[in-house]
Amino acid sequence: MRRPGIRSLAGGAAGIVAGVIGGIALTSTSAATGPPMPAVPGLDAVHVPPVLTRPGEPVTLRYAIVCAPRDDGEPCDGSGSIYARAGQSGPFGRLDLKRGEDSGEGRYFVELPSEIASSRDGFSYYAVLRDGTSGATITVPAGGETAPQRSFPLRDVTEIALGVHAFGRDRAPDERVVAAPWGSEVGEAGLAGSRELGFGGPSSFDVAPDGTVAVLDQVNARVERWSHAGVKATNVEVSGGLADFALEPGGTMDVLEPPSRMTPAPVLRSFRGDGTPRWAQRLSDRTWAKLAAGPAGPTVQQQPSEQWLPVAEHGAALGQAAQAGRGRPGRPFTNGREVVVERIGAGELRLAELVGNAPMRSWRITSATPLGEVQLVEPHGNRLVVVTKTYTDDRSDYLVLVLDRSGIAASFAVESLEWAESAPLARFRLAGSSLYRLGSTRAGLFVDRFDVEVSR
Amino acid sequence: MKAFLIAFGVAVVLAGATGAQAYHRFWANCNYEAPTFMTTMTRDAAQDYANAARYEGYQWGGGCWNYDDADAYPYDAPGDPSAHGEGGDCSGLTFKTWRESTDEWRDGRYYWRALRNVHGPYTAGDFKNGLGAPNHVVAKSTAGVMDAFASATHIGMIFTRSLYGGDQIVEAKCEACGTNIFYRTYRSDPSYGGVARWGWTG
Repeated sequence: MRRPGIRSLAGGAAGIVAGVIGGIALTSTSAATGPPMPAVPGLDAVHVPPVLTRPGEPVTLRYAIVCAPRDDGEPCDGSGSIYARAGQSGPFGRLDLKRGEDSGEGRYFVELPSEIASSRDGFSYYAVLRDGTSGATITVPAGGETAPQRSFPLRDVTEIALGVHAFGRDRAPDERVVAAPWGSEVGEAGLAGSRELGFGGPSSFDVAPDGTVAVLDQVNARVERWSHAGVKATNVEVSGGLADFALEPGGTMDVLEPPSRMTPAPVLRSFRGDGTPRWAQRLSDRTWAKLAAGPAGPTVQQQPSEQWLPVAEHGAALGQAAQAGRGRPGRPFTNGREVVVERIGAGELRLAELVGNAPMRSWRITSATPLGEVQLVEPHGNRLVVVTKTYTDDRSDYLVLVLDRSGIAASFAVESLEWAESAPLARFRLAGSSLYRLGSTRAGLFVDRFDVEVSR
Repeated sequence: MKAFLIAFGVAVVLAGATGAQAYHRFWANCNYEAPTFMTTMTRDAAQDYANAARYEGYQWGGGCWNYDDADAYPYDAPGDPSAHGEGGDCSGLTFKTWRESTDEWRDGRYYWRALRNVHGPYTAGDFKNGLGAPNHVVAKSTAGVMDAFASATHIGMIFTRSLYGGDQIVEAKCEACGTNIFYRTYRSDPSYGGVARWGWTG
């Protein structure tokens, strides 16, 4: 092999330099779709309404005003007013928010006057919050005076003290109604993700009145129905995110999708029983916790309003303003009944059953072991079925409580088997006297059934 | 001349391949400025910062975004740090929101602007274990606004608690999910632990 001369080396070096410059320039040109100039993020708010209060309990309403980050790294220059009234109707009075030193529970606050906070009929209010830098305002809840936050007093409350939870005493299911290995064939359940990023399985399910279990297998873009006749799969056009799912009477299927990379707002998609799309409707709020089939159509517990907002009525989708204008503090059931839920602190749960704006029954449950999320609260005859989670830093159980006016009529614990992630409050469904639970293991998905007809 | 042409051709091909292509994706818009040392760090300013990263996408190993409410490269291959797309990953978003130092032994407050490309030294699992001078483990039942829940594979910050006992979590969840606020039940999930940043000033 001939030794290269100095001219060859110089020529080669010059060629490399020119080539790298040229290559980068070409690549830059072909990918020259740089991002647009920065825009100003919108105004947002955080508020946890005290929907159930004890007699004489002082009430401080706290808000976080969330605005575009300031270049100096300091928080918003915010302000705002509360429009509040005693009871559930009549004119609102204005109270200006104070700005506190600490933002851990919301920097902006107002202490409600006792004549409002201690009203026998509760109180109602909404807030108008302002970012002093941009001048933007936001009303919370978005329904404003039409659908304000409503708070009710816990009168004649049934007090229940759970004490310390004993882990490891879980009840075995009465029946395993679905057992599906991971996969994409009919009868299998889709699994997404990886060991590095975590796994997501079918995100939600529901149970038809005839006992058919319908599982939203969003990974495989389908709904699978398990019945005594076997398994059937129906394709649905969904994004694949961890969605909630509800069956309406008549077979309509509702899929509540989270925001994704291409759709930054959550969307409720309605499908006919054969999987063909009916409509898709953006939610009023930015975030959702739970979807349920209400008496007039699908309804969603949303944030920041923390209200249940109907997304459709009698088959027709409701626009964002119409949703916001119908917000209620509780989940609606038939006969005008509504159930209001408030988890407080580490281990307190308040529940009330309303008819219209009148509380009919209420419970206050305290636990020495921390309580987590409330998966389900539904009337069952003259009782209330509650499923909540109890946990320590490294263990958890679901706690099933059947409540009546005198306290706990029945209770049992269910082991939390959740190898793959699902929608947040979609683990349990009540159908007739059966409680169904969606779970998963390394091997696959399952749905278990528990009989809740247990007498005291 | 022959050597020049051969070297030129090879260099054009190589420079146009993955490395330069990746460099000239979103990260070409990012910078490497020094952070601003801060004496304050409030939870609501952290809410502002993380909230503004919503819609800006997810990038495994990333930590750079703008404020145009869109992911410039929404279909990058999941788990590929060389994609150099827009957005942070879960631990990168937490690191920047919590104003941490790239030196694990420093517990001061360092304000990283959105287009400053930095991920920080911590994985989700590191945060879960409270690694680094600014971080510590907390009981999950006491975790509050802009503290976090972390597992071996993911971390999300508590935007606020919620009525039904779950939490609104601001997080960079996955390439398809992007960065947003989602309702989660990490608090009661045994695979998650509570973790917090020392040094909040309000």
